[in-house]
Amino acid sequence: MEQTRELTFKSPGFYERLKSMLGVDFYRLFHTPMFYIFLAIAAIIPAMVLSMTGMPNEQGETVKLYENTWNIIAADKPLYIINSMGDYANMNMVFIFGGIMVSIFIGHDYKSGYVKQLFTTHSLKADYMMSKSIAGAFSMMCMCITYLCGGLMAGVITGADMSVNIGSLLLAILGKMIMSLGWGSLYTLLNVVFRRYFGVSITLCFVIGTGIPVIGAAGLMGNNSGLNILLYGSSVNACLSSNIGTLLTCAAVSCCWALVYNIWGSYILSRCDVY
Amino acid sequence: MNAIEIRDLRKSFGSKQAVRGLDMTVPEGAIYGFIGENGSGKSTTEKLLCGLMIPDGGTVRLFGRACTDAEARSKIGVLIEAPGCFPNLSLWNNMMIHAADLGIENAGREVARVLKTVRMEGAASNKFKNCSLGMKQRIGIAMALLGAPRLLVLDEPINGLDADGMRIMREVLTDITKSCKCTVLISSHILTELEKIATHYGIIRGGEMICEMTAEELDASCRAYTALKAADMNRTKLLLSSRYSRVEEAEDGYIRIYDLTTAEDIAGYLYENGVTIQEIGQSKINLEEYYIDLMNERRVQ
Repeated sequence: MEQTRELTFKSPGFYERLKSMLGVDFYRLFHTPMFYIFLAIAAIIPAMVLSMTGMPNEQGETVKLYENTWNIIAADKPLYIINSMGDYANMNMVFIFGGIMVSIFIGHDYKSGYVKQLFTTHSLKADYMMSKSIAGAFSMMCMCITYLCGGLMAGVITGADMSVNIGSLLLAILGKMIMSLGWGSLYTLLNVVFRRYFGVSITLCFVIGTGIPVIGAAGLMGNNSGLNILLYGSSVNACLSSNIGTLLTCAAVSCCWALVYNIWGSYILSRCDVY
Repeated sequence: MNAIEIRDLRKSFGSKQAVRGLDMTVPEGAIYGFIGENGSGKSTTEKLLCGLMIPDGGTVRLFGRACTDAEARSKIGVLIEAPGCFPNLSLWNNMMIHAADLGIENAGREVARVLKTVRMEGAASNKFKNCSLGMKQRIGIAMALLGAPRLLVLDEPINGLDADGMRIMREVLTDITKSCKCTVLISSHILTELEKIATHYGIIRGGEMICEMTAEELDASCRAYTALKAADMNRTKLLLSSRYSRVEEAEDGYIRIYDLTTAEDIAGYLYENGVTIQEIGQSKINLEEYYIDLMNERRVQ
């Protein structure tokens, strides 16, 4: 016997949609080996930098990049962009690994045809931007934690100086973790813009993550806070002399970045065909 | 209510017009066979109606709503080109991901149901990358069936399916249109399979809809003919050509007479001329032949 079903249109709410999309993204994140590889890299790199630069050279002199273990986490002072490579190679490196990871993560969405499947459902393009930004931010936050563990272990092993203002250190780490949301949004935007050119998107994420644009701009225009905030999202302001103001700056800039890049990415997605 | 209503749809890629002023009407509950040559605009039209592409002009309505409406889109199941699956995840996990995207409650039960429908329950733990083309197509169909959609859009779903797979798909599509009043838009080049299930047809060429008809209308439009085999085919053809206006030698080796006449009349005429008939019978051209005729006519025009 023939049955008929009433055609009813149910509108899934924003939280329902975002919850299901985040569920998928986090499921994929935890089920992809790449995530764990990047966590391991984030732990190994600071340990290597700290221990290898603390080794004696051929002349028997110990070359120290850092006097203090915690410099592997953050620099002593903000606004150091073109001062020293040692000041630069700290927890900000997480944003380089994060950029590559977000690129691969979003690249898989397009390569597998998953986005085609996704955008034929009730999912909105803004949900996609938001979900990827949050998943990317989460992965970078996790990398910050493994980076901290790697750096700490290397510091203990090499016997480097461990003296620090613990409050400032925590604020610096929190500031960088909070900035992950802004970075995640920026990388999601770059991958959405160059969705058909994976090579371009991953290279851009890497280059921007390294801070080369801001170093270049600082070289031309001089070193200043505004430049840091505009081009590097105040990530470098989160240093070992951080205070609550630094943390609030990081939070404000991270939210602004996330908002701007998410709106921008959603607009681009809504105006373009999905392939 | 019509499940799909497309009016004056247009889409270009650079200077190439892929879809030009296309109109299409698919009634609710129909199995609509969407036919056209390679590059005729079938897939582009399907992507436009699923909201994957943005049209340059025209309107697409699904169940009376704009196709951009998220609520209308939540009623459709889609398989376009290939299923969007992550190669390193199992079929089950890929299905669960799509079920989550659809916001399905009791996702595990629903995934198990559709896997059983396409006879893939035993392969659920296989990784997608290890599946054959036919298995991937079945998974694509299963994904499209998730959440009991009211409209299925299937682009070349039969490609790569074995005989059993094709039979299962026929059964599934016929069943869901009858039991759930689901509408199916299916494009395929395998017209003999399409003919077995389609209730409506739309033929597209160069981005334009050249005709839409029901299966009954197609049946009425398909020319009847008398086919025969004789001992001396060349002489028989000459004789028949002198009496009937439309005589052709078909690819299957039979001579076909498309004039309105009876087998008895033809047999009597050949007998009088001393031709020995081996086989004779009457039939109608099928969808494939109708389609080829139509395309040839258009080319001449």
